[in-house]
Amino acid sequence: MSNAKVELITEEAPQAPVTGPVQPSLWQLLRVWFMLGLQSFGGGTATLFLIRRAVVEQHHWVSEGAFTRDWALCQAAPGINLLCMTILLGRQVAGLPGALVAMAGLMLPSVAITIVMTALYADLRNLSMVQAALRGIVPATVGMGLLLSTNMARPLLASSRRESASSLSVGILLLVGSAAAVQFWHLPVIVVLCAAGAIGALNAWYHASQAKVGQP
Amino acid sequence: MIEPFLYFWLILKASLFSTGGTGNLPSIHADLLARNWATDRQFAEALAIGQISPGPSGFWVISLGYLTDGVRGALLATLAISLPPMLILAVAALHRRVGDHPAMQGFVHGLGLAVCGIFLVVVIQLLEENGFDAISALIVLASIGLAMTKRVPVPVLLLLAGLAGALLY
Repeated sequence: MSNAKVELITEEAPQAPVTGPVQPSLWQLLRVWFMLGLQSFGGGTATLFLIRRAVVEQHHWVSEGAFTRDWALCQAAPGINLLCMTILLGRQVAGLPGALVAMAGLMLPSVAITIVMTALYADLRNLSMVQAALRGIVPATVGMGLLLSTNMARPLLASSRRESASSLSVGILLLVGSAAAVQFWHLPVIVVLCAAGAIGALNAWYHASQAKVGQP
Repeated sequence: MIEPFLYFWLILKASLFSTGGTGNLPSIHADLLARNWATDRQFAEALAIGQISPGPSGFWVISLGYLTDGVRGALLATLAISLPPMLILAVAALHRRVGDHPAMQGFVHGLGLAVCGIFLVVVIQLLEENGFDAISALIVLASIGLAMTKRVPVPVLLLLAGLAGALLY
């Protein structure tokens, strides 16, 4: 606790008067993302959890709503969603250099450790202790995943509720329906995502036109 | 013999035409097995390591690269999975141009809700594949409780879980 305070005080004050959110230097950005990469054990779920905590809750670089919107956008891009997210968040904080620095910061430690761990695993693969530890780690990842998805759904459902009661029911239907579509009907994820987006778009369009009709 | 350029291209292609960290799995699996460049066991191991190693679980491809082609394979895989996510900038630019239209906002809103729903399904599938029992249920609840306090760093949480697994299983 006291350490954090000391660090805050000794931190250099920004040279120019800052308007709006505090703009971190590229070096600071690299340090934060490097630490995230270093701590990002436990797959994408745990990592997104960590990133949200750092970027939204600790540094206030990005708002809660923007974080959730960005994450949704990342589902529409190819490749690893978390890298898309890192690029988007980095750019929001410090432009294109910020995007590259964030990506490099996240990837340098995590890729290096992944390679070292694979090399170690190749030596230890048959130890029963290693297998047992792995069986304990997976449920912990799951617990964090459950918490993460409720944290992400909450602001979305709250904004639906502010819009109207029917929007809230559409929102709940999308949440439950998309889960059911993948789990029980085995529809391809990309199809479900597109359909949910289309339903969301139609719902919003309908509301916008209703609002216009209501105006004199 | 593994041809590096083709190896790189196969992973790049699979990642370009898929979303998420494991969306590229079916394509890479088919292509590498057809050339005898990888085995099923290497795929299973790489996926498991991707879960516990740092970074997104999509880094399983890097593990696979190491297991099949050593450090060269790992670096080729790293490059191949780093490039496709950069297209997010194009997606975001498109979103900015038409982003204030209510239908576009509604699209992203609906997408976000579906992602949360599917996320739950994937996470629960992970639990089932791992073998669901009293011990794992306990670890799930304990990790939710610890994570909600926001005081326990994630690596510490996972270390505790690994310790619990080693002791209880």
